Amino acid sequence: MTVAGVLAAEAQRRREGFRRALLWSTGALALLWFTAAQIGLNPAALVRGVPFMLDFFGRMFPPDLAHLALLRDATVETVQIAVWGTLIAIVLSIPLALLGARNTTPHALVFHATRMFLNALRSINELVFALIFVAAVGLGPFAGVLAIALHATGMLAKFCAEEVEGVDRGPIEAMRATGAGRLQVILFGIVPQVVPAFVSYSVYRFDVSIRAATILGLVGAGGLGFSLIKTMKLFLYHQTATCILVIFVLVAVSDWLCARIRARIL
Amino acid sequence: MVLEIRNVSKTYPGAAQPALSDVSISVPAGQFLVILGPSGAGKSSLMRCINRLVEPTSGQVFFENKPIMGDLRAIRRQFGMVFQQFNLVKRLSVLTNVLSGRLGYRSVARSLFYSFPESDKQIAAECLARVNMEHKAFQRADTLSGGEQQRVAIARALAQQPKVILADEPVASLDPKIARQVLGYLRQVAKELGITVLCNLHQVDYAREFAERIVGMSRGRVVFDGLAAQLNEEVLNRIYYATAEEQAA
Repeated sequence: MTVAGVLAAEAQRRREGFRRALLWSTGALALLWFTAAQIGLNPAALVRGVPFMLDFFGRMFPPDLAHLALLRDATVETVQIAVWGTLIAIVLSIPLALLGARNTTPHALVFHATRMFLNALRSINELVFALIFVAAVGLGPFAGVLAIALHATGMLAKFCAEEVEGVDRGPIEAMRATGAGRLQVILFGIVPQVVPAFVSYSVYRFDVSIRAATILGLVGAGGLGFSLIKTMKLFLYHQTATCILVIFVLVAVSDWLCARIRARIL
Repeated sequence: MVLEIRNVSKTYPGAAQPALSDVSISVPAGQFLVILGPSGAGKSSLMRCINRLVEPTSGQVFFENKPIMGDLRAIRRQFGMVFQQFNLVKRLSVLTNVLSGRLGYRSVARSLFYSFPESDKQIAAECLARVNMEHKAFQRADTLSGGEQQRVAIARALAQQPKVILADEPVASLDPKIARQVLGYLRQVAKELGITVLCNLHQVDYAREFAERIVGMSRGRVVFDGLAAQLNEEVLNRIYYATAEEQAA
């Protein structure tokens, strides 16, 4: 190919790329427009709704700070649910991640079964899990712990499995060359490479669990959510405002704490 | 002199020994200069002190009789760089990699759209042709062999239209046959375009074969400066085997 040939080919490729981009973006735009109409995406309705929202906020103001004392136990319970749920998820997700990673799974069937199982865990929302467990173990925080644990396991294990699949293969080959067994190769060649990402993601997951735990009470699985739904149903909006305020502070503190922990370990 | 390194020293923070102590080298325009020395002799640090990827602790570098300071972007584009690990952007095409050599001349606003003027494309295609890689212009960089990647990296450096090319161990991860081919391209292209080349090497054979002039370094000091023909046993001992005490004596 000559220099002129390269330039001509480049121009042609760019034209084709542009045409293809135009085609796809037109298609995507049409589809998005259609779906927007289907789901009733309507900015005007939002604007019309502003007075109602203001009215709602007006009823919540000022927050009933006397209610704060009653929320103390629920707040502590929320944190406890998140801690235990995340902890169980961490423990469960380590073996599941190794079974669900192509390069560490003992058999292709195990790999597919594990991934399928993890997909199931991830596709079911914490609230839905909580409904199931409330029926199984009764109302209260234990149902919340189980709900968070299962959903977080699905997330954490999938993330970790992908991290395991993405490790540098060089050290693995070196470990195998020393005559190390399967598990030894995993322990020495793979685990050290995955630990930082796993720890970092676990901390992030705790942050998510805190947020999830604040609403599990909606279905009777413990924590602040119960007060939230109760005060709302009794039209005690001043107390609802206090609940929202506490949840906001809790999430902000957890976010701050998790960011600090991650900065420390990375 | 296109380049004058005057009394450059560099001590990294926390390091006990200086990486460079009092290095002075003058390089006339168009020379193919090999800097020879074992790993850790300070060759890479010296190179990076020239285009200020590393800030020297003391001393100065003069480029075309002016001290290197101020607008680093304008200075750096005069120095093309070639690396041991090639440092191509693997997911981009060969041609785009070479075009990236033009970035030092272009505005950030335009780069946001990955867009280059036709004149840059002309330059990039010509540079690719100089290293005989134009037939792979549209392949992704990671589909090439090591030798091919380094040739593309040389084309990227050429696309900068630099006065000087700094090649840091350019053939250390290539086999001998490919290494000679790559060094051959580097020398030939530099001659054709009148570009000065500073090339770090640790292999004596290649230095003898390709250098117009050799500067030997050991433990951050220049211990030899002469022609390839003068590179005898005694000099090699000085470069590769001298202990700190012998050097001080």
